[in-house]
Amino acid sequence: MRVPGSPALSGLLARLRSQWRGVFRRADVEAEMREEFEHHIALRTEDLIRRGLSPSEAARRARIEFGHIESHSEAARAARGLRLFDRLGVSWLDVKLGVRMLVKYPWLSLVSVAGMAVAIAIGAGGFGIIYALMDAPLPLDEGERVVSIQNSDVTNPGSPDRRAVHDFLLWREQLRSVHDLSAFTEDVRMLTIPSGGSHLVEVARMTASGFRVARVAPILGRPLLDADERAGAPPVLVIAYEEWQSRFGGDPAIIGRTVRLDNTVHTVVGVMPEGFRFPVDHRYWVPLRLDPAAYELGGGPEIWMFGRLADGVSLEQAQAELTTIGQRMAAAHPETHERLRPWIRPYTHAFVGVDSPARAWEYRAVQIGLSLLLIVVAVNVAALVYARTAARTGEIAVRTALGASRRRVVTRLFAEALVLSLAAAVIGLSIAEIGFEWIRVLATREVGELPFWMDLRLSPILIAYVLGLAVLAGVIVGVVPALQATGRSVQGSLQRLSSRRSGMQLGRTWTTLIVVQVAIAVAALPYALYSAGRFARSAAAVPDYPVDEFVHASFSIRGDAVPADPDTASYEAAIAARFAASAAELLRRIEAEPEVAGVAFASHYPGSERVGQIEVEGAGTRSPVWFNQVDVDLFTVFGIPVLAGRGFVQADAAPGANTVIVDRAFAEQVVGGGNVIGRRIRRIERGEDGTGEVEVGPWLEIVGVVPTFTPPPPFESVAPKLYQPLALADVQGPLHLGIRMRPGAAPASFVGRLRETAHAVDPALRFVDLQPALQEVRGRREGLIILAVLIAAVTASVLLLSAAGIYAMMSFIVATRRREIGIRAALGADPRRILTGVFGRAARQLGGGVLAGLLLAEAGLRAVGGSWLRGEGAHELPIVVAIMVAIGLLAALGPARRGLAVQPAEVLHED
Amino acid sequence: MPDQAELLPGTLDLLILKAISLGEVHGYGVLLRIEEISGGALMIQQGALYPALYRLEHQGLIESEWGKSENNRRAKYYRLTRAGRRRLGEEEANWNRLVNAIGAVLRARPQEL
Repeated sequence: MRVPGSPALSGLLARLRSQWRGVFRRADVEAEMREEFEHHIALRTEDLIRRGLSPSEAARRARIEFGHIESHSEAARAARGLRLFDRLGVSWLDVKLGVRMLVKYPWLSLVSVAGMAVAIAIGAGGFGIIYALMDAPLPLDEGERVVSIQNSDVTNPGSPDRRAVHDFLLWREQLRSVHDLSAFTEDVRMLTIPSGGSHLVEVARMTASGFRVARVAPILGRPLLDADERAGAPPVLVIAYEEWQSRFGGDPAIIGRTVRLDNTVHTVVGVMPEGFRFPVDHRYWVPLRLDPAAYELGGGPEIWMFGRLADGVSLEQAQAELTTIGQRMAAAHPETHERLRPWIRPYTHAFVGVDSPARAWEYRAVQIGLSLLLIVVAVNVAALVYARTAARTGEIAVRTALGASRRRVVTRLFAEALVLSLAAAVIGLSIAEIGFEWIRVLATREVGELPFWMDLRLSPILIAYVLGLAVLAGVIVGVVPALQATGRSVQGSLQRLSSRRSGMQLGRTWTTLIVVQVAIAVAALPYALYSAGRFARSAAAVPDYPVDEFVHASFSIRGDAVPADPDTASYEAAIAARFAASAAELLRRIEAEPEVAGVAFASHYPGSERVGQIEVEGAGTRSPVWFNQVDVDLFTVFGIPVLAGRGFVQADAAPGANTVIVDRAFAEQVVGGGNVIGRRIRRIERGEDGTGEVEVGPWLEIVGVVPTFTPPPPFESVAPKLYQPLALADVQGPLHLGIRMRPGAAPASFVGRLRETAHAVDPALRFVDLQPALQEVRGRREGLIILAVLIAAVTASVLLLSAAGIYAMMSFIVATRRREIGIRAALGADPRRILTGVFGRAARQLGGGVLAGLLLAEAGLRAVGGSWLRGEGAHELPIVVAIMVAIGLLAALGPARRGLAVQPAEVLHED
Repeated sequence: MPDQAELLPGTLDLLILKAISLGEVHGYGVLLRIEEISGGALMIQQGALYPALYRLEHQGLIESEWGKSENNRRAKYYRLTRAGRRRLGEEEANWNRLVNAIGAVLRARPQEL
């Protein structure tokens, strides 16, 4: 089913291969060309001799007929795209010299390559993930022509309206620019195989046309057919190769066997080939029956729609046709369709959360932003290389005097930079591949299966992208300083060479660069270090209840569990009632399990509460606290003692009870310690329209205090908690369960059973999260550590580069003043005064940078509602400032001392 | 020698791809093949063949390998890639469309207007 390589890609690879040979194996290419020409002429000569010409005449004629060899060679080089390289003049020698420079300046190379490698790894990682998610071609025949269609809701951008049964049937009939318009919805069903046990499986209920869109034929039996969709048709099932092998033992007589999906007997009619998962990661397919009469407009199941663009039709043309149909629909049914806009786009986008054009732009912005990181790093490296280039002004002048053109000199320096950036690219790609491997392992563990098109690895596109980045970095690092260095009169450089002074007068530019460099470091790095520290600290914190005995389950109910239009009030009531009833039954069954010691529900799992504002009676102040609505038994099940007052009783969950329990952090931080029992607080909430109107809840009385048993979120040192009692009948939205297992019971094996129990209670129940609590804690910890390491790596590389850049620039500036220092010393100036002058200037530059950085940092933090004055990065700030200032002064010290040590006569003699 | 037709601009690549599609062949062989099949009506300037061959190779439409030729010398043999075969198909279709269209225009009579 996989189509190996698109024509565009194979063409690109052929070009790269040909250019690679042309640049790095130039001599071989030229020799082969000559040999081919000579062979041609020899054969022609033999032909002509056979036609009766004398050997000498034949040879002469053959050469004349062939034409001018040099001009054919030139045309052949142009045909291979080597002209550009000829013009640039990059040769193997330049590359070799570049490698030599890499070895000659090991520290510069190390700092530059390390910095760029980290930036390239991050850029490549971001690009690779987003590409694999939404841009990768579908591994189907003409996969690029498969598209998704959905109704966007203008009143609610980003959440498409999927209850589109009526629209689907209308579009399938009217839409000319999309063929085989298909729909699917997914269900969890209990698969029962006679003599093979029962398993919960995810089933795609799909129109038969879906298989025509995929253009993949089954290896056994048949795909779904349109006839299967008709009412009264016998229920049939198509399965994936992998399921056939694992669940049916590869039974050769599988076709015609019957299995049960929930309570309905289905006949297996087809087996799809190995590797086929569709429309996302599905491996079981049953026909989707859509009866418009059964649903009102805007009701019915939530469906995903897709199809194939008709031949010669572009996405824009299809959108235009769809828009016209949509407008007609909106005019005919304004009450349901005025707010809907049918939208057609690349297939993958519908399944990776690209639910609005703005969201697509967000993904692009991340891609571009991550690439920009390399540019920042490359500019730093350029500053470093600039100092080295400046030190080589003499060498450049001599080479120019010996006849090298400016272009030649720039090319040489570009080649040197390219060696640096390509080395960084190789390391960066290797780091990215390690990251991809880690994501693949993690995704398989956490999500189960990735979408069928997502192939997270080093693709040719990604490699080409990274090579592009490397060339860009090479241009910034090599060409920009080279143009600066060669832009002055060679005569002047030669003269200065003879007087042993550098020809590059940098003054104001470099001062500005130093100030900017220090400012950026001071502005960005402390907060980054602070964040890394917070993530690392948060990863180390553990909840204070027996996590290993718990299973965390959170579940909700499918939006289409009741048939009514979701915009009506009756729908809300109906769905809430069904959820409450099903949740109560599920809880009853869980409690009845012999392995379960207890179960408690809550609106948020302990440790993931929602933040809000409260006011303490009599205090008048407002404080942020973390809210949770909990089962009255929650503290008992979690083994949390009551420190003061009492725990919840059933009566607390009744309407109007208005009692709350707080944790110790709340009692100490919010109420101010002492006896808090009997104190009253109330919630303050913003109005739903977000205009800042405040809604105040009723006064709530604190009846008990419990210990703080979950760690605060990463950026909080404390998170005061407030617990309100919750009755099951009042539950809306997802419900979280903490299920405590008896000692010796394995939470992991209970998870699978729980899924089946829930399905048996109500097939519309859907788990959002279901795993042993320990696994969840570990997963969260791993994520935080990765984040901390990533931030620390980037910070360290930027800090290293900034420090190296400041050192290089500062020592260079002072070095250019060496002679002036020498003369002033010769004329009898006090060395201490001279040093004060030099350091004063350096200190002013560094100080200016620090000040600018502080202002920038404060402005940035204020914009996101923080302040380093309040402690965010306050500890790390002095460290970064100290490193920058110390490096700057250290860099000034060496050249200044050398200046003072110069003999006056020597300085004067230099002129 | 029959009358020689002038090669239309842009048709050299098509002719080379077609000649190579008939079987692996070296540069001189491409030339002979085109001449033979066209009964000598289409002559290609010999040296001009190679830039065209290299361009097609550079574009990934043909690939080459060194082997032994009929006179037992080392020679470079060309063959079509998958992309080349696809391109040949497209170019042939384009050409046939063009020929049909021009033919239709040339066959037109006043009463048909």
